Amino acid sequence: MVQDADEEILIDELRNDDFQQRLKSVRRLTTISSALGVERTRNELVPYLNELAVESEDEDEVLLAMAEEIGNLIPHVGGNEHVHHLLLPLETLCAPEEALVRDKAVESLIKVAEVIPNVEEAFVPLIRRLATGDYNSHRIAAAPLFATVYKRVSESSKAEMRRLFGQLSKDDFPMVRKAACTALGGFSQVLEQNHLQNEIIPLFTSLARDDQDSVRIVAVDNCVTLGRIFPTDKNQSLQDKSWRVRYMVADHFCELCESIPREVIEAEMCPALVKFLKDTEAEVRTAAAFKVAGFCSKVSVDVALNQIMPCIRDLVVDQSQHVRAALASVIMGLAPVLGKEHTIEQLVPLFLSLLKDEHHEARLNIICKLDNVNQVIGVECLSQSLLPAIIELAEDKQWRVRLAIIEHIPLLASQMGAKFFEERLAKMCITWLADSVFTIREAASLNLKKLTEVFGVQWASVYIIPQVIELCGHSNYLYRMTAINSIANLTSAVDKEKQKQMLNAVVVATKDPVPNCRFNACKAMELMLPAIDAQIVDSTVVPALNLLSNDEDPDVKFFAAKTLNACMKA
Amino acid sequence: MTSISCSDLDRQIEQLLRCEYIKESEVKILCAKAREILVEESNVQHVDAPVTICGDIHGQFFDLKELFNVGGECPDTNYLFMGDFVDRGFYSVETFLLLLALKVRYPDRITLIRGNHESRQITQVYGFYDECLRKYGSVNVWRYCTEVFDYLSLSALIEGKTFCVHGGLSPSITTLDQIRTIDRKQEIPHDGSMCDLMWSDPEDIDGWGLSPRGAGYLFGGDITAQFNQTNNIELIARAHQLVMEGYKYMFNESLVTVWSAPNYCYRCGNVAAILELDENLNRSFKIFDAAPQETRGVPAKKPPPDYFL
Repeated sequence: MVQDADEEILIDELRNDDFQQRLKSVRRLTTISSALGVERTRNELVPYLNELAVESEDEDEVLLAMAEEIGNLIPHVGGNEHVHHLLLPLETLCAPEEALVRDKAVESLIKVAEVIPNVEEAFVPLIRRLATGDYNSHRIAAAPLFATVYKRVSESSKAEMRRLFGQLSKDDFPMVRKAACTALGGFSQVLEQNHLQNEIIPLFTSLARDDQDSVRIVAVDNCVTLGRIFPTDKNQSLQDKSWRVRYMVADHFCELCESIPREVIEAEMCPALVKFLKDTEAEVRTAAAFKVAGFCSKVSVDVALNQIMPCIRDLVVDQSQHVRAALASVIMGLAPVLGKEHTIEQLVPLFLSLLKDEHHEARLNIICKLDNVNQVIGVECLSQSLLPAIIELAEDKQWRVRLAIIEHIPLLASQMGAKFFEERLAKMCITWLADSVFTIREAASLNLKKLTEVFGVQWASVYIIPQVIELCGHSNYLYRMTAINSIANLTSAVDKEKQKQMLNAVVVATKDPVPNCRFNACKAMELMLPAIDAQIVDSTVVPALNLLSNDEDPDVKFFAAKTLNACMKA
Repeated sequence: MTSISCSDLDRQIEQLLRCEYIKESEVKILCAKAREILVEESNVQHVDAPVTICGDIHGQFFDLKELFNVGGECPDTNYLFMGDFVDRGFYSVETFLLLLALKVRYPDRITLIRGNHESRQITQVYGFYDECLRKYGSVNVWRYCTEVFDYLSLSALIEGKTFCVHGGLSPSITTLDQIRTIDRKQEIPHDGSMCDLMWSDPEDIDGWGLSPRGAGYLFGGDITAQFNQTNNIELIARAHQLVMEGYKYMFNESLVTVWSAPNYCYRCGNVAAILELDENLNRSFKIFDAAPQETRGVPAKKPPPDYFL
């Protein structure tokens, strides 16, 4: 049990001159209150906190902590019948201009409201005071509180609350209307059907027409919640003169469709999307372009073909690269929706066009989704129509595009099989090893390992391994190092026979005139260790490393010693 | 001798590669060790081929990573950076400390020479000083780094044939030996040979001209030819000037400007270049763009504050 004197100290700390100390003791409010006991918490601590909050001169950080901690005092005031004591300081904390403090206070108020038994007497007056308060801050704080208690109050109070909420949505101050608009979704979920129709829809309509676009943007969010009443009002948002609002609608388009039956989607939403796809603002078109695949899966193939496809054809040549990139990221998703025949006829030309887009992001986005199409049109068709374009991209001047192609090669390979994976593609994979960009060489090296895993050692020993070993003799050290690294990557994927041949190439590299090649040979050997027989390690690897541990170059020495160490452990 | 273990350095390099800066106490040790290494280097530091030559970086950390993506990672690829690591970009601290950590870890694989921005005066105006103060809360890190600046070599000579310097030539220097006699361990002076090496620019003129920069000189093709002949040099590689195409030959390919900060100051729209010299001194330029937005650490977008309503 804490003595009285100690409690005094704890309470005094709340007024400490040092802001950090005050913050610390506010964070310990629950401890203080358990020391005081429930009665003194109610009668002394809570009023005292209110005093502090009224002075309100404190740093926002302390007030913020206080607003939160008061919510945590709920179990410390001696049962739910006493929680109304907490309302007073929380109401005070709704006054500060700082939105963070107010929001936290509102959060705590909602916590109290959830457990308070005498809602009618204790909470309704509070809402009334806040909703009609002089401070903007008070009225903003009132809005989210309605939904929490509405179901638990008398009919007359319900009527009053609906009236008060109506007032808030017509408040002179835009921030209050925005708060009301934000709370509208939650409030409408607890309202009775008839009131919803008669009172909320008009409110929503007026908010959706608010002269502030920030209010209208929030209204769009509510459309999703108020799905069933949406069609009556969508025209408002669709033609909104602020592009930010149109953007929000376009961005939420698929969610908006969720609660709507298919006929309505086809009859009303489809023309809406078409409108967005043709919007004057590129941002709106971009947001809408992202939605085409998702939307088409909600309508019949006919509607998709006749109404949406013409717009898509326009977007493929849109003047904004962002629109084209957005379209490219989802257009492949249309293939399963439209089926094989339409995909080949209608979509493939568009894919090809985007694959040649001057903006590399559009090209990349198409490549990344190639497997979608493959599943629909089949490998033969894919290799006939798209492969030439892919091969062209394999030499794209943007290395990130080349990288994307390389990263999709193993996937393509496994889908095409060795038969369709022509010699030309295999040659390309080797060419990448001598790419001018390091990242491409590195990716090409990993790619060879994956290809060997897909097609087997037999294939690799014809198309890959001899070429890699040949690269070990390149005149430029950067390419010799790529060859050495490729060998290290491949070791685990080939048989003993090939391993020996490849290890020999690495041993030759330990005598390279360029130190970088010598220490990369050491690094390669370390990678190869798990795949090599202990006997060969002793007879070949260790002697080569021993020589290098006396090398004139300190880095070669370092990596030789490191790999020797790994040999000992193995 | 200051001691710092390879594993500590490897960890610091990893951290810096993620664009996270290291502790002030670690910077202090790193800089002390760097000075020990750099003090041994010559004013005309000998460098073996193969090596990749890079120009100005200017704190564009993510573009430096792009440079490594294209050129290869250190230590696998050998690098020579011709100064101006700091100022103007957002990440001078991370950029310089990364290069310095690599230098300490692999002294034979990377060479750093001094640019005109590796100076106490210039960094107080163009951003490095403020960045250190903002990121570390004190000027200690700036002090440690500027002490290192004084030890950076003034130039490099690759296999006796390619002379690398940040700015250019000086009327007070005709032979490499004259550079070797400069006492370089000081703040860059306002004039004189050391200043000129870091401030001069080549220009299509005969002889010497006044530099509009207010420091260094303009030098013509005849001066360059004379210098190269006297010192038996094939090529002068230098940085210091933005070139939109990343690199630019002058004077019948006897001088080249290499610029390695793509989209300089995040707005110039230029590409960048590095010059790869293989073991036979064959030249190959690699051009690269600025790192794409999604590979950059961007501060999280905040919604506009309510008072804009």
